[in-house]
Amino acid sequence: MKHIIEEESKYAASAKAFRANVARDLGNEELRSNFRGAMDYLMDKRKSAFSSEDELEVLREQCKLIKQRCLAKLPHLLEQLEGNLERNGIKVHWAETITEANEIIAQLIADKKGSSVVKGKSMVSEETALNDYLEERNVECLESDMGEYIVQLAKEHPSHIIMPAIHQNKKQVAKLFADNIEGFEYSTDVDTLIQQGREVLRNKFCQADVGISGVNFAVAETGTLCLVENEGNGRMCTTIPDLHIAITGIEKVVEHLSDVPPLLSLLTRSATGQAISTYFNMISSARKPGEKDGPQEVHLVLLDNGRSQAFADEELKQTLQCIRCGACMNHCPVYTRIGGHAYGTVYPGPIGKMVSPHMLGLEATTNLPTASTLCGACGEVCPVKIPIPKILLRLRQESVKPKSQQPEVMKGQGAGRSSVEALIWKVWAQVHKSPTMYALSMWGLTRFRFLMPKKLGGWTSVRTAPKPAATTLHQRVKAKQEKAKQSQQERG
Amino acid sequence: MTNTKADIKAVSKTARGNILAKLKAEVSGADYDKLPEEVPFNYPEFSREENLAQFISELEKNHAQVIKTTKANMASVISEQLKALNITKLLYGENDEHSEVIAALDSKIDLQTYDFSIDNNKERLFNECPAALSSSRCSIAATGSIVLWPDENEPRSLSLVPPVHFVIVDANELYADFTSLIKAQQWQDKLPTNVVLVSGPSKTADIQQTLAYGAHGPKALIVLLINI
Repeated sequence: MKHIIEEESKYAASAKAFRANVARDLGNEELRSNFRGAMDYLMDKRKSAFSSEDELEVLREQCKLIKQRCLAKLPHLLEQLEGNLERNGIKVHWAETITEANEIIAQLIADKKGSSVVKGKSMVSEETALNDYLEERNVECLESDMGEYIVQLAKEHPSHIIMPAIHQNKKQVAKLFADNIEGFEYSTDVDTLIQQGREVLRNKFCQADVGISGVNFAVAETGTLCLVENEGNGRMCTTIPDLHIAITGIEKVVEHLSDVPPLLSLLTRSATGQAISTYFNMISSARKPGEKDGPQEVHLVLLDNGRSQAFADEELKQTLQCIRCGACMNHCPVYTRIGGHAYGTVYPGPIGKMVSPHMLGLEATTNLPTASTLCGACGEVCPVKIPIPKILLRLRQESVKPKSQQPEVMKGQGAGRSSVEALIWKVWAQVHKSPTMYALSMWGLTRFRFLMPKKLGGWTSVRTAPKPAATTLHQRVKAKQEKAKQSQQERG
Repeated sequence: MTNTKADIKAVSKTARGNILAKLKAEVSGADYDKLPEEVPFNYPEFSREENLAQFISELEKNHAQVIKTTKANMASVISEQLKALNITKLLYGENDEHSEVIAALDSKIDLQTYDFSIDNNKERLFNECPAALSSSRCSIAATGSIVLWPDENEPRSLSLVPPVHFVIVDANELYADFTSLIKAQQWQDKLPTNVVLVSGPSKTADIQQTLAYGAHGPKALIVLLINI
């Protein structure tokens, strides 16, 4: 298999530092309380959004099958989408890697002599680190979703895919605004903060010559780009500037327009407990002759970045069913405690642990699939029924599978393999296959248990070392049975 | 910058070929007639009154103001609302189908027609238009959503940029849910440049999960509900 991740994403290094990141963030009490509060809020909201368990279950099954059908037809739907978009005057571009996507976007902007970009929320553009790429080319790139704006001012990355700035509380935001916004009147009142942000960003919408957005659903049948949002910044970015560039992953395409309502309903309810978002924006064309506003040019960039690798494996393919609602994060005990930045990847939490290995390779992400208690909460809340815990187990296997073993399923296969660990399990397997070896090992373990080391690396940093018992379970049961027999005989 | 237009065209072409080839190799021979049946949830049928009540309640939950009125009274309702908000200007669409409403508005209101291209008028649109009036195509009861169908007369930004948005909603054009609406009107056959479902004023909970209204779009959504 030829891998095309030629140059590493900047997230590869931060993902590799996972353990250090966790140690850092677990010790930050303010951060932990911010996440705890936000996750409790989002879990509550979701819970109250469904009329009955029955409705939720029927919808989940329906939406799972919709996404599976669309994936089964993916290449054909992409071609149909392209045809219909081009017929509507929307240009379609394809990119295998993040660099290709960035090059395409930079060139489209240069062609229009654009210098100022406003961005709607797009996780795929985070994936490509588009802001960095454009800024290096002297194009100002401003995030306009309130959460993304805060994160950008703080020179950070989103810590949640739906609520990018949940790691910050209002005091921290007030300080950030005070440091960055000229003429800011200090306040920790959320309304006041939002109004001041609004003023700054409205000026930018008015002046920007390029708008960049993501896509929630791309409808093949009609050639329509759908955006889900509450703030109106998505509408601003896709309506006011002269040039609109949308970027999305190839898995976002759906076949029919009628596939959209059930998916939309599950998306907003799973994400924030809303029956629907404030705005559902459906774009099918650039400005037509006679129309007074809207961009003169609309472009769509379709990005692969590892998705086709997941697509090639029946089990891992389910990863692509994801509609990016964030419910798995909200319900994840690990995410709630370590927060979104510790993962070091664009997509944090359970979904991040599933998709990042395809984007960055298992070399950089080998720790991620192990950062799960396998409690199953993510799988239970997933609106499209992705068996997340099962896929995490599978990724753990891929990361320790010998490199030589065919077929090679993914980039970085075997990156987490340690010869010591492999040897231990080999010996363990041999011992458990032979009754004689097993009995012998038990004899040794019970007698030489005092030789067990007191320190066992990471395990004993917060736990006491395990110590084998003086007698085996078999021995104890046997002794008990003999005792019972004896007392029976005595009585008899 | 080192790339040229030709380069990105070539990049895209190669990428397209590679991506589609990889995906097609995986689905070759797939039998699409054998896909499992997708069963939707059977929502109960509601009466017109129940749908209307649901529509209003969802909108109000989302901080929209719903005013039940008639076509004859609408002008005075809008005039009063503008007065209460201390706004003296109103932007509306050219060739407005509600021209008699516009004509009957309080004469003190400075009427602005959206008869200009946005290209050289962005400053004006953003800074000099405090309120707008638009029509709607239809609406959705289940989620309290209003369907805007912008066109040459009522541009997309009419309902987006001015901080107060008045929207006329006809109760006779209320559908139970999004699915039944798309089906009834066969949207898949012809969609315009842009369709927007609006379910309240612009909002955000991005700072400490605290709801704030008027993030970027209208701070107030005033629904003028007629033909109840």
